[in-house]
Amino acid sequence: MLSRYIIRRLLIGVVQLLGLTVAVFFLIRILPADPVSRLVGMNASAEAYGQAQRQLGLDRPVMTQLAAYLGLAPGQEAGLLQGSLGTSWVTGSTVAAEIAAYLPVTLELITLGFLFAFAVAVPVGMLSALRPGGRADKGVFVYSLFAGSQPEFWWGLLFVYVFFYQLGWAPPPLGRLSPMTTPPDAVTGFMLIDTLLAGRLDKFAEAAHHLVLPVAVLTFVLSGPIIKMVRQNMARALGSDFVLYANAAGLPRAIVARYALRAAMAPSMTLIGILYGFMLSGAVLVESVFSLGGIGQYAVRSVLAFDYPAIQGVVLVITAISLAVYLLLDILHALIDPRIAY
Amino acid sequence: MGNRLTSMSIGAFLAAAVAAPVLAQEILILAEDVPAGLNYDGPTAAIPASQQGMVTLMEPLVGYAAGAVNDTGVTLSDFATFEGRLAESWSFDEATLTWTFTLRQGVVGCDGATFNADDVVYTFARAKSVSGAAPIGWFLSNVGSIAGFGVEVFGDDPAAKELGDAVVRIDDYTVQIRQSEPNQLFLPVLTIFGLLIFDKETMEANATAEDPWSHDYVNNTNAPGFGAYCLDTWTKTEEISYVANPDYFAGAPDIDRVTVRRVPQSSNRVVVLQTGQAQLVTGLTPREFDALRSQDGVSVGGVVGNENLFLHMNFATPPFDNPLIRQAIAHAIPFDQIIANGYFGQATQWMGLVPSSYPGFRASAQFSYDPEMARSLLAEAGYPGGAGLEAFADAFRLSYVAEKESTLGPIANIINTALLDVGIPASLDPLPQTQFGDRQLVKRDLPFAVNDQEKPIGVDAGYAVQLFFVSPENGGINNMVNYRSAAVDAAWAAARVMADPVARTEAVGAIQDMLAADVAWLPIVEYKTQWAYSSAITGLRWYPDNSIRYADLTMAE
Amino acid sequence: MSTSDLPAIAPARPDWLFRFGVAIVAVVTVLALIGPHIGPYSPTLTTPRVAVPPPGLTQIPGLLWGQITGTLPYPPHWFGTDVSGYDVFSRVIAAPRTDLVIALLANGLSLALGVLLGLLAGYFRNAGTELLMRVSDVMQSFPVFISAMVLVALAGRSTANIIIALAFVYTPIYIRLTRAEVMAQTARGFVEAARALGQPELQIALRHVLPNSLTPALIQSSVTIGFAILLTAGLSFVGAGVRPPTPEWGLMISTGANQIILGEWWPSVFPGIAISLTVFGFAVLGNALERRYAGG
Repeated sequence: MLSRYIIRRLLIGVVQLLGLTVAVFFLIRILPADPVSRLVGMNASAEAYGQAQRQLGLDRPVMTQLAAYLGLAPGQEAGLLQGSLGTSWVTGSTVAAEIAAYLPVTLELITLGFLFAFAVAVPVGMLSALRPGGRADKGVFVYSLFAGSQPEFWWGLLFVYVFFYQLGWAPPPLGRLSPMTTPPDAVTGFMLIDTLLAGRLDKFAEAAHHLVLPVAVLTFVLSGPIIKMVRQNMARALGSDFVLYANAAGLPRAIVARYALRAAMAPSMTLIGILYGFMLSGAVLVESVFSLGGIGQYAVRSVLAFDYPAIQGVVLVITAISLAVYLLLDILHALIDPRIAY
Repeated sequence: MGNRLTSMSIGAFLAAAVAAPVLAQEILILAEDVPAGLNYDGPTAAIPASQQGMVTLMEPLVGYAAGAVNDTGVTLSDFATFEGRLAESWSFDEATLTWTFTLRQGVVGCDGATFNADDVVYTFARAKSVSGAAPIGWFLSNVGSIAGFGVEVFGDDPAAKELGDAVVRIDDYTVQIRQSEPNQLFLPVLTIFGLLIFDKETMEANATAEDPWSHDYVNNTNAPGFGAYCLDTWTKTEEISYVANPDYFAGAPDIDRVTVRRVPQSSNRVVVLQTGQAQLVTGLTPREFDALRSQDGVSVGGVVGNENLFLHMNFATPPFDNPLIRQAIAHAIPFDQIIANGYFGQATQWMGLVPSSYPGFRASAQFSYDPEMARSLLAEAGYPGGAGLEAFADAFRLSYVAEKESTLGPIANIINTALLDVGIPASLDPLPQTQFGDRQLVKRDLPFAVNDQEKPIGVDAGYAVQLFFVSPENGGINNMVNYRSAAVDAAWAAARVMADPVARTEAVGAIQDMLAADVAWLPIVEYKTQWAYSSAITGLRWYPDNSIRYADLTMAE
Repeated sequence: MSTSDLPAIAPARPDWLFRFGVAIVAVVTVLALIGPHIGPYSPTLTTPRVAVPPPGLTQIPGLLWGQITGTLPYPPHWFGTDVSGYDVFSRVIAAPRTDLVIALLANGLSLALGVLLGLLAGYFRNAGTELLMRVSDVMQSFPVFISAMVLVALAGRSTANIIIALAFVYTPIYIRLTRAEVMAQTARGFVEAARALGQPELQIALRHVLPNSLTPALIQSSVTIGFAILLTAGLSFVGAGVRPPTPEWGLMISTGANQIILGEWWPSVFPGIAISLTVFGFAVLGNALERRYAGG
């Protein structure tokens, strides 16, 4: 039953991605600005324009371009089927290489943000659900509503002003490492891992130091909805029949709480998935405050520069990751609660 | 006797040993971007950061001599005097329109290749092949009227892309280049980054069957040439580093190693310079330069070069076809307030339509801020107090490049307020760079804009006229405002091929008077090109492409 | 063990919090109506005084007195001025009009679309509605900022485009909410009864099911409006939002961001406080409505 569910979801996911790719392909070709203009800035004669068009492959009919992009014409150029996302018109590097460089930055940032938010939110949410109506519960409730309504880019700026400009505790918001430091060889793309792999503890410490403020901002903003959700689900679980039975059977409170927590996590999965998917591109705000150079900034740059292959590549990759995350969480949910797979 | 000699020699040896080792000098430069490509015929040719990489690694045939040093310590260029770079000397035969260049001997490139006439011929052959994403090399050759570089190369005939006999190798160190007509722009275009000389051996070693002119190599790996520095490491969008070329023809550069790191936000660049970790930063806002000027240990050098700001009003969009409206707006701009609040005093009002440092400049446009006159001109045009102009509200949307919000934002806002003050229904419309460029140059339908990115690459007033003010049908390829004047076209057609420099200068001056009378552009200011650097650095020199040559720099211990 | 020992599901929400939320929403609504007109300066015209800091705490009484007696050369810049010379205070109180209008229209649009589509998807459960849900899934996983930026790149920066971009984000949420509620309502008796009476399906859906299914969507609206303000601000921050010099909190934070590192905090901090409080107010209100009408 479960395997059929997984296979069905996977197939649907592939179809969704394909539909999305084709939709985005046509959508960005309606964009009003001509990417060719970038190349003819110095010399805008008709001949130069035609030359640039040919170079970008824009003189072919649209369906031919689509077929080539999908990989249906392997003799002419590599496409999606062959694993190629095309070449960026701005830099000339392959889109896949650029995404491989930028994506880990964002993943590192938001994964750390979620981890810390979880580490804070779950105990707090649990404790406040165990003592409902108390002062701590009210405080936590207000905090969760407040934190979840904050503009994270503004808090990022505030943190920079207070912790860097005034107190000097944090490094200047210049990126993942100080500009004086040569980054280690990019093995995984995750700075923390790569510095450890290179054996440079000093660079690891520096990377961690640079991550403190951006991760703190994300933790703050994410903790709001997560606490709220954990608290709510915990309270619901604590009010359910099996907890009533466990209490009646005389189990200690800590064990009952643990059971309730497990039951509370299942419905939380969906929200986590949605939040994670949102943060993939939503992190662009924090990324740009701290000059981190993640996938969001890459997406923004590509859209502003009308770099068709890059836009297509980024949309595809981000959506694919989001869908994959949903699928994963739904599978987890189905494992916990078999009713879902039906 | 023996002891004395021994002790003297020991002493001399010790003295030499102590004096000999000089620490390798390294500097770190922070810039908005690092080269995205090193190919002047490639997709990134128009990007200043990429041009900076090209001029560091490659050398032109000819350059301008150094001029005076200004009050901030920056050396200017003497545009009246050419000096040989890779070429040692040259002569011109008027009868056959042929230039004969005697090339410098003993010049060695980073990959060990020796410079000779083959490299020059290769460079021009590559330019004529128009095989890259952007035909800059061809364009400059065309502007300089080198024979054979016409628009026919873009046709289907492969023979039109062959170099032919326009550029001919006479012997290892002599090259002849023939023009198709007398054109004073020949030597100026040779100084431009779009005709830097490639190292033929290394280029051909990295060519492939699909890419015989090595565009992919130069776009992504290296630009082999005979410049002052050799490429050490290059990570696009992060960092590029160069090491000095010890065999550079003008002597090994003082600074042994230059690293340029990308730090996109200008305020971040300021912070690092202040801590002393970087030695030079570029691309700051006027405000930031102003703040650094008073700081110890930091020098701010600036020069009024070819950077300017003007108001773009499209003749093809009503009501900008009405001369009275153009004149009215010309008197509604608060020049002094823009200089004070937009540039912190580091600008002067622009009195003409070509850069004032260029040969042939005439101060033909002298507008003053006079709101009363602006209002009366509007009334004369039939719009008293601006009544009736609401119908053109879309035309009065003042555009500017959105990425330059921090510099152009305040200026656009000041102009917006000033226009509203005299009754013009202005509003703001920042556009992303690519869209701005597309509407400005390709579609030419941008009605109203503030523009600070037009820096004519050819150092000549006539070049600017040809580029911007000749009608598009007659060669004005960057004529973004759709200005069409038969008189200007005719005057330029004559001036372009005048052999007598004095007559040419007079003719070009007369053209500038016509342009000012029509308010073809509304010149606002010429602002200083500035750099902020550690006080230990001297020798900075300004070049018309606004890239510095690291070989000019010296750093005190 | 008695039932009174069981933990209550809903914690007692402090009453002062609810009143605080209502107060904020009320203030923002009032500012949306009259804000652009009551400031000392026009929110869209520059002044010659650039990057002036706000008055120090000790100066304020003197300035107030001068304002009352009319002895000041020019009205004080209570929140200072930004880098173009705009008065920050006038713009902060003029911004709610922009933000609230966008948020209300975006929410209205996605509510209307989402409820309708959700009704169809929940009532007529067939292949067509399956497809709708899958498309809605994709819309929800679509990176928000990119879709907004593409729209803006397509059609320029304007209020209408932001509203459409936001509707793109929120419609799937309303579809999902309404569909779940509709499915629950359809299982109830009155639908069977209507069918037994021979009423056409569409009529049943619109006349009976829809009014009963609106509640979750309406409650969600308050929260959505608040988040729409956040999203608008975020879009302005990356350059896909409203056009300057329209006063909008996110745009103000964005233009002031470069100044923070140089120590000029006021152009960004004041609009940030405004957004922070406003969205919080809407979230509190939404939560209170949820407690009251949906049983938490």
